[in-house]
Amino acid sequence: MEMKRNPAKLLWLLLLFSDTVPFSCEKSMRERAIELMQDARLIDGYMKYKDNNLFLSQDLFVFHSSHNDLVLQLRILYQNRLSRVNLRELNQTHTNLAKLQAGYVGAQFWSVYVLCSAQNKDAVRLTLEQIDAVKRMCNSYEELELVVTAQGISDSRRIACLIGVEGGHSIDSSLATLRMYYDLGVRYMTLTHSCNTPWSESSSKGIHNFYPSVTGLTAFGQEVVKEMNRLGMLIDLSHTSYSTVKAALNISKAPVIFSHSSAFAVCNHSRNVPDDILQQLMNKGIIMVTFNADVLACGRKSVNISTLADHFDHIKKIAGSELIGIGGDYDGAKSFPEGLEDVSKYPSLIEELLRRGWNETELKGVLRENFLRVFREVENHTSVTSKWNHFMVWRNCGCTRSQSGCVHWAGRNVDSCKSI
Amino acid sequence: MKRNPAKLLWLLLLFSDTVPFSCEKSMRERAIELMQDARLIDGHNDLVLQLRILYQNRLSRVNLRELNQTHTNLAKLQAGYVGAQFWSVYVLCSAQNKDAVRLTLEQIDAVKRMCNSYEELELVVTAQGISDSRRIACLIGVEGGHSIDSSLATLRMYYDLGVRYMTLTHSCNTPCVTGLTAFGQEVVKEMNRLGMLIDLSHTSYSTVKAALNISKAPVIFSHSSAFAVCNHSRNVPDDILQQLVSDKVLGFVFWRKEFVDHFDHIKKIAGSELIGIGGDYDGAKSFPEGLEDVSKYPSLIEELLRRGWNETELKGVLRENFLRVFREVENLICQNTYLIGSNSSHLTNQWDLIIFFPSKLEMLKLCLEGASSLQGRRLMSLFAPHVENQD
Repeated sequence: MEMKRNPAKLLWLLLLFSDTVPFSCEKSMRERAIELMQDARLIDGYMKYKDNNLFLSQDLFVFHSSHNDLVLQLRILYQNRLSRVNLRELNQTHTNLAKLQAGYVGAQFWSVYVLCSAQNKDAVRLTLEQIDAVKRMCNSYEELELVVTAQGISDSRRIACLIGVEGGHSIDSSLATLRMYYDLGVRYMTLTHSCNTPWSESSSKGIHNFYPSVTGLTAFGQEVVKEMNRLGMLIDLSHTSYSTVKAALNISKAPVIFSHSSAFAVCNHSRNVPDDILQQLMNKGIIMVTFNADVLACGRKSVNISTLADHFDHIKKIAGSELIGIGGDYDGAKSFPEGLEDVSKYPSLIEELLRRGWNETELKGVLRENFLRVFREVENHTSVTSKWNHFMVWRNCGCTRSQSGCVHWAGRNVDSCKSI
Repeated sequence: MKRNPAKLLWLLLLFSDTVPFSCEKSMRERAIELMQDARLIDGHNDLVLQLRILYQNRLSRVNLRELNQTHTNLAKLQAGYVGAQFWSVYVLCSAQNKDAVRLTLEQIDAVKRMCNSYEELELVVTAQGISDSRRIACLIGVEGGHSIDSSLATLRMYYDLGVRYMTLTHSCNTPCVTGLTAFGQEVVKEMNRLGMLIDLSHTSYSTVKAALNISKAPVIFSHSSAFAVCNHSRNVPDDILQQLVSDKVLGFVFWRKEFVDHFDHIKKIAGSELIGIGGDYDGAKSFPEGLEDVSKYPSLIEELLRRGWNETELKGVLRENFLRVFREVENLICQNTYLIGSNSSHLTNQWDLIIFFPSKLEMLKLCLEGASSLQGRRLMSLFAPHVENQD
């Protein structure tokens, strides 16, 4: 008799159960995403640790995003007149300070892009103006703080600001200019934008007509890469052609980055990274996956968070999650996936990845750890000491007429000695 | 009572021989002792332009200690008791509206590489840096407003790179054509705000008047002389010299033929406190006999001693006057800490941040009152330790 239960009751219980179980899983995914990001704020260029006893993680991360073109928009909309803008509430852009905080962004690389059409004209002066705008912006708001090192990112309690030059046309074929940008705080340079420089090839064809016969990196282009290694400036290969990427990976002794590119195998757009390169990036760099809808979906009409997450899954499958970061390209790209319309939406991406089974370690890597590791390696590759050594090498080179005084120095410095 | 007249005569001769001789010797010695104590700060040298012309800035091909083809090399600077040198990062006027900015960056880079490459040299960016340095302190001066391509942002970035004066024009007008246009006035104000010395050498009379009118900080003439002594357009007329006195301006003296007369004249018109030295070695083509290169500065000091200048006046000319002006200009900066990247290995702060604030507590308080709360907080957190150490 006890075997007979009220079937209606059972059914009712089942329904209830089936209702509540998924509901509590969804809620906990979002919560998990937020807790993770409070702990590990995104670096779209920046990262920061702080101690916090949250339910899931012991470490706190700051989300770091590696590419944002707000500063270009400020030039276009306001001619860099920051006094006319309230960056906390700015409406006309994907980015404002409130949204960055809502998106748990802890560090941001600000791109100081100047138009390709300025190549061989006033690109240098324009770049200085954009760098100046970033500095004024970061000095003007309590929420922001300019930093130039991995440690600076770790230590900052605010949204850390870093500077990235986007396009070799900004240096006007001058290594001295590159060095001065470094002195001003620039910490990465994208070798090309959508135009060839006299020394490097872009992945974009037909947009501009500069130096059409240049392929990969010329001899001078190789010197640029070596000089960036010596200085400790991150080499960014987004926007560059396949041959440029191969050449740079060949020459660079330090890890490289793609500040805003996605997976070619998922969408075969020239801005994306093919599988063989992804494999070469293992232990030698990071790809900061970008949200530009055009490069994610290859013309598919519906582009959403899932489309983006497919890129993450693919790269993890091919090369592991340790070489993945995030480079949103907000205020640079025109269209974004549904659900990721502006910089406050990053948690939705993390939520989706959690749902797809990514674990916390992997996600902390994506959010900040991977980038920090790469940045530190690039810094360690040339510490202040080795820079000083380099100058000592120059002195030795100058004092001895022959180069023999240099031969006893470390290998790479000998090369630098010759190039001066 | 009777002395040997021959002996007396002999003594007299001997005496008359030795007295002038020992006076001369002591002038030279006095000059050298003075300069050992108060090494010269020179306001203008164009070696870096010569390095570009002769060696395309390839420092590995040059030994700056022994370089023969220029007025300047390190050995001569030391022989001349030069303690600090402003290196001009001049680029040709013909680059205006073309690639002047990039060329200027290349010259700044050359100065930095040069100063990093030799133990005898050390890049500094403050008056305190000059005072503290045990080497030849290097500073950077932009020569000609055409270098900023009418961009205040570019001016600010030069400041961040370590540039501490800008000559408003070289031998070409900038888009600030007569005197100073409205934008030119903004340039002067921005230089005040940043704490960059305004250099009026090469500028026209009306530009000088306009700048003196607007600038709240002392100004300099990094390499000019007295118009009344030699009426060359590069020189400073008496009325300006007098205005300089009331405005506490510093004029560096650049010499031509009767060079020492310039010193005397300026001292007479306006006093010695506004005088310094700006040789223009490796910039100008010809120099007075006896002053052919940077090792000869002691001869100038010797001559001034002979003309009755006293040690205080000469120490002023050698360095104190400039340091006073530089500190006054620095003291007017109250706002905006800028990040400055530098290859200086002594900077251990992760930001390579150099703070240009007065070392006196009362000036700091003034700054804090005037600054926004954000900047005030930053000032306190970044500066307070330094202030404590001062006390």
